[in-house]
Amino acid sequence: MVSIRFHGRGGQGAKTASRIAGTAAFLEGFTAQDSPLYGAERRGAPVSASTRIDRKPIRERGVIARPDLVMIADASLIPDPSARVLEGVDERTVVFVNSPLAADQARAQFSIPGRVTTLDLTGIALEHFGKRGAISALLGAVAGRLAGLRQGSIREAIARELTDLGLAPPVIERNQTVAARCFEAVQPVELDVGARQAMAVAQLRAPTYEPPTKGTAGITAGPNSAIRSMSGWRTFRPVLNPELCNGCWLCFANCPEGAITIKPDGKPAIYYPHCKGCLDCVEVCPTDAMTVERETEAANNT
Amino acid sequence: MTWEPHIFKELHQIPREEHVFPGTPLCAGCGGLESLRLASKVLGSRVVYINAAGCFTNLASFPFTPLDASWLYTTMGSAPAGAQGVRDALDVLIAKGRLPKDEDVKVVVLAGDGSTYDMALSSTSGAITRKLDFYYFCYDNEAYGNTGVQLSPSTPYGARTTTSPCSVQHPAGSTQEKKDIFEIWRAHRPPYMATVSPRFPLDLEEKFARAADYPGPKLFLAFAACPTGWLFDPAYTPDVARLAVECGIWPLKEAINGEVTHTYVPKRRPVEEYLKLQGRFRHLFEPARQEEAIKHIQDRVDSYWEKVKA
Ligand SMILES: Cc1ncc(C[n+]2csc(CCOP(=O)(O)OP(=O)(O)O)c2C)c(N)n1
Ligand code: SF4
Ligand SMILES: [Mg+2]
Repeated sequence: MVSIRFHGRGGQGAKTASRIAGTAAFLEGFTAQDSPLYGAERRGAPVSASTRIDRKPIRERGVIARPDLVMIADASLIPDPSARVLEGVDERTVVFVNSPLAADQARAQFSIPGRVTTLDLTGIALEHFGKRGAISALLGAVAGRLAGLRQGSIREAIARELTDLGLAPPVIERNQTVAARCFEAVQPVELDVGARQAMAVAQLRAPTYEPPTKGTAGITAGPNSAIRSMSGWRTFRPVLNPELCNGCWLCFANCPEGAITIKPDGKPAIYYPHCKGCLDCVEVCPTDAMTVERETEAANNT
Repeated sequence: MTWEPHIFKELHQIPREEHVFPGTPLCAGCGGLESLRLASKVLGSRVVYINAAGCFTNLASFPFTPLDASWLYTTMGSAPAGAQGVRDALDVLIAKGRLPKDEDVKVVVLAGDGSTYDMALSSTSGAITRKLDFYYFCYDNEAYGNTGVQLSPSTPYGARTTTSPCSVQHPAGSTQEKKDIFEIWRAHRPPYMATVSPRFPLDLEEKFARAADYPGPKLFLAFAACPTGWLFDPAYTPDVARLAVECGIWPLKEAINGEVTHTYVPKRRPVEEYLKLQGRFRHLFEPARQEEAIKHIQDRVDSYWEKVKA
């Protein structure tokens, strides 16, 4: 059995990529299983999905704890402990990272124990689609290649899954073409799907509840969410050119996050740890003082 | 009878002080959050938010909160009942002299359209009838968003949701008309009601400031462009919100003791411009244009504004 675990941010297409890989395998006569992990599917939030492919019926269920292949759609998730991207990864696991870095560099920079291969899917998508959007087809095609699936079945799987999402035929065709390029471009690494040590049986512990006399859970501190960094959510960042800013405050008014503050001189300033990269400020700025830059390094670097 | 703001005449009057802080897990580009943040600038921090389950429940996920106000979580059907309890408790404290009157706290229901248009209708009707002194802030993303975008009574005709897909039987997607919750509220004659859009921040701030003069039930219906549910890039949240108003789909209005005033009368661009920005309406244009469905949406908007003029 080949077990593939996908990680991405809501909106990036990790869930659909997992479906594409599963459907392609099914078309080749395999038994396949693909399922997203239910949770907050909010755009930008960490999401994961599991795909299992086998010749025999698959009895395993649930999240893949010891993956053969991990597909990382967004490198900024790696240091995020809540995303659990590297869980169950050991030196035998193959890890794909969507990154412009070379495999060695990515392996070192993100301290990945497994064997790494990379390709800059975001860059390729930007180049061919001209805007940010889901990279599901590209990620699915790369996963298929690494899992040893055929290009033809991946092409067909992309058509089926994207049609289900209501995409128009020309868009689907473009996705297929770009996905085929990624299929060819990625450096394959042989999967090691040999006998894997079974996980130790998990012991379930009954939680110890506090007596109700102690009260219910409450947050008594002030607005403490501001201590969290949202930097890892961004694929792009808005950049303010103060020379072009006319001080109208539209960006300040329209930032859903409150990441833009007004300085004592009446001009706005972006505080990056609070910015999720929605780019609404770029859209509302009447003087083009806000421009867009692609994030290059991993998360939490503001 | 053009409507004039009394207080908020230019953007520099928007308070710099924040009351909904960053760091929430809500989606990048959430139009609902944008409205709440602006509203809170007028509401201030002496507030208890009574929050019905929905996306906004994620605002305060233990141990973090973005609010410098208090927050109470209720079921989808019972936020107005929760508000009644909190209001009563505050009144008792004031009566007993344990809370000075000038330190009173505003009671604000925070609910999605699923609660507002659907599950909490009877609880809301009861609260209005009892003349409960509270604000009702509905962020309207036209679907049950938090659970993965299912059809709600607020979903407009022609929109695709996960439970109203565009199918052979229903090529237009949703075949229902958006429920007119504004008129349902208005039939109760509450003292103050308004629709708002965050892309019209002065109109929004002005309405929250005016509402403060009206004790009793106060409704705010906030247009909540939802990139996740409506399938558009988060950068277009402001454009979607602007076009909703400019195409006449989301009228900006207020009703004082039931008397309606439109606070902005758009020139009305074709609804297509609004629809085309969003993936949830894409099937109306691709692979083939569904002329009839598009015309249906335009006709509904036109007949609404005909009545406004009359
Ligand atoms: C009685 C009840 N039914 C179902 C749910 C599950 N549920 C939680 S949030 C949600 C969606 C609420 O939709 P809406 O009020 O429009 O808010 P949104 O999520 O769109 O912000 C649902 C159905 C619930 N909490 N309670
Ligand atoms: S699903 Fe929509 S309404 Fe809910 S948090 Fe995301 S953008 Fe906001
Ligand atoms: Mg909703």
